[in-house]
Formats: sequence, structure tokens, C-alpha cells
Amino acid sequence: MKTFVWMAMGVAGAALLTGCATSTPAVREVQLDRSPMTHKLEPQDVRRTVEKMAESLVSAPGVKEAVGGTRPVLDVEPLKNRTTQHVDMVSITDSLRMQLLRSGLFRFVDKSTSGTDIEFIDAQANLGLTDPKKAIKAGQQSAAQMYLTGALSEMKNQVGRTVDQYYKFSMILKDLRSGEIVWADEREIRKESTRPRVGF
Amino acid sequence: MKRMSERLAAAALAAGLSVGVGCVETAGTIVRTDHTTGSSEILENSTRLRDEVQVLNVNYDEVNGMKRVHITLASTKHRRLRVDYQIAWYDANGMEIDPDTKTYRNLILEGRESRTVTGVANSPAAVTSRLRVRSTSAAD
Repeated sequence: MKTFVWMAMGVAGAALLTGCATSTPAVREVQLDRSPMTHKLEPQDVRRTVEKMAESLVSAPGVKEAVGGTRPVLDVEPLKNRTTQHVDMVSITDSLRMQLLRSGLFRFVDKSTSGTDIEFIDAQANLGLTDPKKAIKAGQQSAAQMYLTGALSEMKNQVGRTVDQYYKFSMILKDLRSGEIVWADEREIRKESTRPRVGF
Repeated sequence: MKRMSERLAAAALAAGLSVGVGCVETAGTIVRTDHTTGSSEILENSTRLRDEVQVLNVNYDEVNGMKRVHITLASTKHRRLRVDYQIAWYDANGMEIDPDTKTYRNLILEGRESRTVTGVANSPAAVTSRLRVRSTSAAD
């Protein structure tokens, strides 16, 4: 019986030590909407903001009135980053554009890719590779009737070991012809983190 | 022999505790609403969450051609509760519409408080909504 116990302990010890042989970090896939890890802006905050803004815009009564049964042409301008953090604002507007596009309420143009449009049209007109009858001629693109823009701002307070961080996403939809703001909304995020008493 | 059985019992307890620490219940409450028939179905898969959060009311309407659902959740506890919720949408064939665009949002319920959560469909094709509520501790 004693020998069996020693053997079992030996096997258990070997199994434990085998796990220490590797030096690669443990990697696993996690949920997109995981719990917060820092007081900084995190992917789940951005995802929730984009979803909330898209839902608000799609369901706003003023938008229906402004649209009037048509699908107006919309451009989404990158949000202004007024925080001290580096945040990819273009990625946020890309996600928002994608969600609004799927709602079917708007048509979209993208000013940021106009340079590439010019390259294509120029190549089709001048390189001699494209059938002149089929070449796209300049001056036929749709004009943006509305544009979406906004800003991200922050406030930070630190008291002792506790950091209180506040973020605010604010967005507006503006009618280019009338200059009226058709829709506006904001989303606030407040996070608190406390450093442990011991540690760095 | 008695000493041996005590050791075995201790080892079994330690093993059980080490396994139990990593276990977080991720099942929760589901509220399924059919916007064509108006029927709602509540599935409470977690006994713990069922005892903490109750579904009080389900309402639905339509805005700008998109289905919208309002669900009132109430805390039965006197302490603060943190839960996550997600509202997903399905088309007439039962297929989930753009599942990656619907996120889990956090909801803080104060003692005995009731709050209404709202979800708007992400497509005019949506006819059924499904609210999923889970404990925030499940959001690893």
C-alpha cells in the first residue's frame, strides 16, 4: 500500500513538472464583451457605444421626418478625439457606418476614399486599357446630403490609489442643405480602478 | 486505515475546491418575444439569477420600420446587483441577424430597483427578439 502511494505521488509530481517545461504564455480566445480590465477605453466600450448610437439613430423620430421615405446619402466623418489616449476613431466610424448600412435607411458615400476613386477614373480615361464606352466618367457621383460627426471627450480624477475615469461619446447628424441638426445623442462611460496596497 | 481514509477525504476535498473555484455559471435568463404574434416566453436557466432578477414586463413596438422591444427587469435583492444583457434579433426563418453587432451591455440594479432595457432591431427583416441576461461575473 505504501509503495502504491509513493508511486501515485511520483506520477502526480511528474505531471505537474511537465506543465512547467514550456515558457510560452497561456493564450486563449475570450468573449468580445468581457469584463473591464483597466480604466481606459476598451473594445467592449467601443462596441457598446457603436451599437447604442446606431440604435438611437435608427429609431429617432426626427430622422424619419428628415428622411421622408427616401434613403438620403450620408457620409460619416471620423470622430474627434479630445482625450489623452490614442483611440482609433476611424475604426469606430467604420463600425458605425457598417451598422447603419445594414439598417437600409441610408445610402453612403465615403470622402476618405475619393483619392482612390480619382486614380481609377483617371486610369480608365487615360491608360488606354479600358473600353472608352465602358469607362466611368468623372462628375457622376452622388452628393452627400447629410453627414454624421462627433467627438470623444474624457475627465479623469485620481484620489489616492483610486482613478475615476469618465468618457463621453457625442454624435450629431446634420442636414447639409438646411444646416439643421437632425439627430444628436451621447453615451457616457464611467470607470473606477483601485491600485492594490502592495505591488507596483 | 482510518488515517489513510482521512487523507483520501482531504485530497478529495482539495481537488473539489480547486475545480469549484474555476466554475462560474454562465447560463442566465432568456426572454423570447415574437413580434408577429405578440407572445413572450421566459426561460430561467440559472436558479441563482432567477432568485435575484425577475422579468416584470415585456412590451414591443415599431419605429421607422424597425422592431423595438422594452423589457422591465427588477431586482429582488436589497443590495446592488450587476448583470449583463444582450438583445439579439432573428428573421422569419429563425436565423440570427448579425450576431456580432449585438453586444452584452452592463446594467447596475440598486436594491429592489426595476429598470427597463430597450433594444432596436438591426434590420427590417427582424421579427423575433431574444433578451439574454447573465451575471456580470460570467463576463470573463
